Formats: sequence, C-alpha cells, structure tokens
Amino acid sequence: MRKYQPKRAALIVIDVAIVVLAILLTIIVVGYLSNYRIIMTLLLCLFWLAAILFSAVLLPAYFSRTVIYISPTDISMKTGIVYVKRHHMKADAIQYASTITTFLSKYTGLNFVILRAMGGTMVLPFLGLNDVREIEELMRAKP
Amino acid sequence: MTERTVKQHPLKLFSYTTHYFWLLIIPLVRSLYSISLDVDSLRVWLMGTWMDLLVIGAILIFAWRRWEHVYVRFDDKRISVTKGKIYSTCDVIYYDTISSLSVNQSLFLKLFGACTVTIGTNAEAISRAQDDISLTLRKSDADRLYARVKKSRAKSLRYSVTPNKVRLILYSFISSSTLSGTVVILAFLYETSRMFDREVEAQLIMDTLSDVVNRVATFVPPVVAGVSVVIIIGWAVSFMTNIFYFWNYSLTRCSDSLYIKSGLIERNRHILSLDRINSVDLRQNLISKLLRISSLHCDCAGYGETGRAETSVVMPIATEREVNSTVVEIFPNIPTESVYHKPKLDLKPTYQSYWMFYYAPLALALLPLTAFFILFVIFPSWRSVIRVGVIVAEVPAIWLTIVKTLAIFKTGIAVNGVDEGDVYITMRYSSFYTFHTVVVPKDRIVKVMIKQTYLQHLTGNCSAVIYTASRGTSKHVITGLRLNRTLGFFEKNGVDLYFE
Repeated sequence: MRKYQPKRAALIVIDVAIVVLAILLTIIVVGYLSNYRIIMTLLLCLFWLAAILFSAVLLPAYFSRTVIYISPTDISMKTGIVYVKRHHMKADAIQYASTITTFLSKYTGLNFVILRAMGGTMVLPFLGLNDVREIEELMRAKP
Repeated sequence: MTERTVKQHPLKLFSYTTHYFWLLIIPLVRSLYSISLDVDSLRVWLMGTWMDLLVIGAILIFAWRRWEHVYVRFDDKRISVTKGKIYSTCDVIYYDTISSLSVNQSLFLKLFGACTVTIGTNAEAISRAQDDISLTLRKSDADRLYARVKKSRAKSLRYSVTPNKVRLILYSFISSSTLSGTVVILAFLYETSRMFDREVEAQLIMDTLSDVVNRVATFVPPVVAGVSVVIIIGWAVSFMTNIFYFWNYSLTRCSDSLYIKSGLIERNRHILSLDRINSVDLRQNLISKLLRISSLHCDCAGYGETGRAETSVVMPIATEREVNSTVVEIFPNIPTESVYHKPKLDLKPTYQSYWMFYYAPLALALLPLTAFFILFVIFPSWRSVIRVGVIVAEVPAIWLTIVKTLAIFKTGIAVNGVDEGDVYITMRYSSFYTFHTVVVPKDRIVKVMIKQTYLQHLTGNCSAVIYTASRGTSKHVITGLRLNRTLGFFEKNGVDLYFE
C-alpha cells in the first residue's frame, strides 16, 4: 500500500493566487469606493480576513489532513476541515480514471486524479506529477 | 430472422426543428388567415413575409435531412442506429447487454400511431455525455423491436402479478404530491409554449386560476384561497397522472427478465434484465407507514428515467405481510430477512446522536419564522395574513419532525445472506419524507464515505454515505452512527477506513 499526500507546492501557488486576488480587489475597491469610506473599509476587512482565513488556516489544514492510501485492490482517502471525510473505493469498481495536469504542474502540484466508478466518483487532489504517473501505473496494473 | 431496417416516425421531424420554427409559423399562419383571398393580397403578404418563409423552409429542410439520415436496423441479436451523412455515427447494442427497454405511447403519440422507444445499458455510466438510445418509431416497428428483444430472453414464466384497482387508486392517492403535480403542469406549459403563443397561454391559465380563486375567496381569505387552489390543482394533476400511468399495471417475471406493462390511455411496456438490477428499494411515506403498505422500486439503467410520471416502480403497492413473498418471487436471490418489517440491524443510531435527525426539521421550521419577522417589519398591517401563512408553512416542518422521530427507530445497516454465499447489505434510512429500505448485493457497493461534522467529531458519531452502482450517482446516507462501531462494521465487510 502506498501513501500519498497533496504537494505543498500547490498550497504555495494557491496562497500566492489568493494574495494577488486580494490585492486586485483592494485596488478596485479603493479606486471606486473611496468616497464611501465605511463601505470601503468594511469590504477591505472582509477581503483580507477571508484571504488570511483561507491561506493561513483552512488550506494548510486541508493539505495537512488529506491522506491517500492506494493499493492494487483499494483506494482510501481521509480529508476535510469542518467535515472530516473518510472515502473508500474498491479498485475493481473503477470504470475508468482521468488525470488532470495543468501548465508547469511538475512544479506547481496542480494535478488531480479522478476515479470514476458506476455510481460514484473520487477525486484525489493536488498530487505531484510523479505521484500521478505512479497512480496511473497502479490503475493499469489492477487485477 | 432477417435484419429489418426502419426509419423513425415522421413526427420526429418536428423535434428536430428549433423553437424559432413555432415562433415564426404561428404569426405567419395567423396573418395568412386574416388576408382576403385574392392575388394582390397574397402578393402583398408574400412581399412582407418572404424572409420568414425562407427561414421556415431552411429549418424544415435541415430537420428533414436530419430525420432522413437516421436508420434503425434490428435483427434477432442486436439493434443499430445510424445517424448523419457527412458526420456519421453508428450505435450498436446487443440485446444481451440491454439493461432496460421501454416502449411508451402517450395519448398524443397514439393519435399519430407513434411510440417512443428507449434503451438503457450500463455503458452510459462510462460517459455521461452519451445519452440513451431514444427513438420515435411507428407502433408496428416498435412492436416488432419489442417482440425481438422479448424473443431473445428466456421464456420460462416464474411469477405474474396484477395489483387490484382499489390498491392502485390508493397508491396513486398516497404517492401524489403537490410538488410533482406542479412539475407536470410546468412541463406541460413548456411543451405547449413551443407550439402556441405564450401570451394566449398565460392569459388562459391566469383567467382560469383567478376564476377559481375568486369563487373560493368568498368563504376564505384571498391569500389562503390562492395558495389552496395551487396546492389542490397540483395534487390533483399528480394524482391523475399516477392513475393514468399505473392503471392496468402488470408484472411478469421470467428466469432472466422482468416484464412490466401499464397505462390507462397511454400504454407503457418495459423489459428489465434481472441481473442488471443494481438495488431494490422498499419505499414508504408516513401515511403508507401507518397503513403498513409500501412500494417496491429498483435501480436499473434506463428504467424510471424516460417520462415525467414514470418512476422506477416494480410493485406499486404491497402490504407488509406481502412484501416478503413478493420480493422472494421477484428477486429470489435476496435473503428474506433483508426486507423483514423488523429486521435485525448490525448498526443503529445511538441515543447520543438522536439530535442529528432534527437538523432538517429545525431548518425547515426556522425559514417561515424568519420570513414572518421580515415580512412583519415590512408590512405591519398584513399581520393576520402573514400569521396564517406562517402557520400553514410550518406544517411541513411538523410533518418532517414526526417522520424523523420515527426514522430514529428505523435507521440502520445490516448484512444478510452470509451463510448462503450471496452477501447483501440492507440500508434503512429516511430521505426527506420517505422511508427507504435498500437492499444491494455487496459487490454493487462502489464507494463508502464516513462523514463527521465538528459536533459529531466531539461526540464520536458519524454518518455513513454508501454509494451503490447506478447510471447516475446513487448515494444512501445513514446518519447517527457510532464511529468506532461503523469503522469496525465496514472493516469486517472488506472496507478498511482506519487511518490511525
């Protein structure tokens, strides 16, 4: 049985994206709502609180709490922040597997494996490219 | 027997046209009808409408070309459907891979001697983008196809049942709901709006409704009258739809297939492959639970997905005493203890988790109360009307509270048939207002998920979400279970969810 965890590089990429988005929203809000200081301040607080909550608390918790175990016969995953979820899928129930790889995903870790069974789907998130290739091999070799 | 090649019924041509076709043709026919019958008027009419006529001609030509290039071929072993000339596709389905074949003839299709034929296979699960094979054929062609598929199946008759009419009326009465009636009305409006002017249609409905509301409003407040009329009409439509669909219902089981026929004016026939039925579901609502009756449904690709009124019913109504014998006759592999009225459950909710059953009723009760306070602030003079509205809106929440309270004592999971070799999992739970007893072979469980909210984490409880084989997503949520017992139960059944 092999153990996989989401790649930390993906967390950094998402954190950077969140900060960039917050800066863009700040520029827009300051540009258009400078005459309404109370609304502007409230919106800025809201954006930055959400950005800090996601990048410093929720996403790191999600990344550290997600664990995937894959054997030739079983796929298990534990994940979740507010809801803790334990998934289990039998390998022989899988009809087919899709992989999603993004631009420069070797460095960013923005790779996903979607396992589709008849009646259910399981998404293995933010995996390293080597992990994805390894899982593909495991799926090909499943009995 | 030789291969037969048929074309779809010409009625199908109209479904290949666009909505614009009807929007263009009705004003054109209306204006043609209003002109006087002389050459000058016709010339003026043509000068004003030549562009519309060209567009209509183009739409009809494209639709005809599309209809012309659909060929249906079938012999004793398979059916193939070829579509298109330049970009051509050919779907081939062998009869032994068919999960369900449905032949439906609504009143409208009956007038034109046409039938819709829908074929469901498990292959759709691989690609959701791929639709069922759905055809509109002449009745004679549909009958021939039905006969050939039937001929390919085993002929040994094992069981046949026809519920009596009183029971079917009772079933239609119990299973009718305002919501489904309203959905039927909306679907009907959608269908007719493609053919008639929307304003005329809207005016007609509003006139009828306001006339009925005015009559009722003489003895009850207008708001209550309006709501009552909508509820009663919705329920009546649902009731009539069910009666029309399930009348003359008959079920026949052979060694490898189920044959289902029903319909009062419309005629519906289905063939289901027994080995492709993924799960069996005994359903009850609160009234049927009190009357000790239930309906038997099944999950089979394509069945129960081909019409508005159609559901996945195998046996519309059976008393609690009859359920066991019915299930044994229809599905002989299912262990009898799976569908007992009081089965032995291996996992049940613990008393620490009873509160979890009241989330939904609480949310449903809070919504009208919140609306009441908001409306009361905005319209203080309407206080009495708003109060009546809130009391009416609280009824579903009270109903749901009763359902969920009963569900506490009925929910659970059991494993049956271990000694016989065919292991079946029985899941008993409630979803909204319906009680389910789902029996599924263990090998048709595709995924298990154990879910814990933060509060459940603190109290050591969880919810088990079990996904069973189905064309779409079919999940069963059993709530209020003890985490350690649940993990142990699933581990014993080959699902290892321990992570520590």
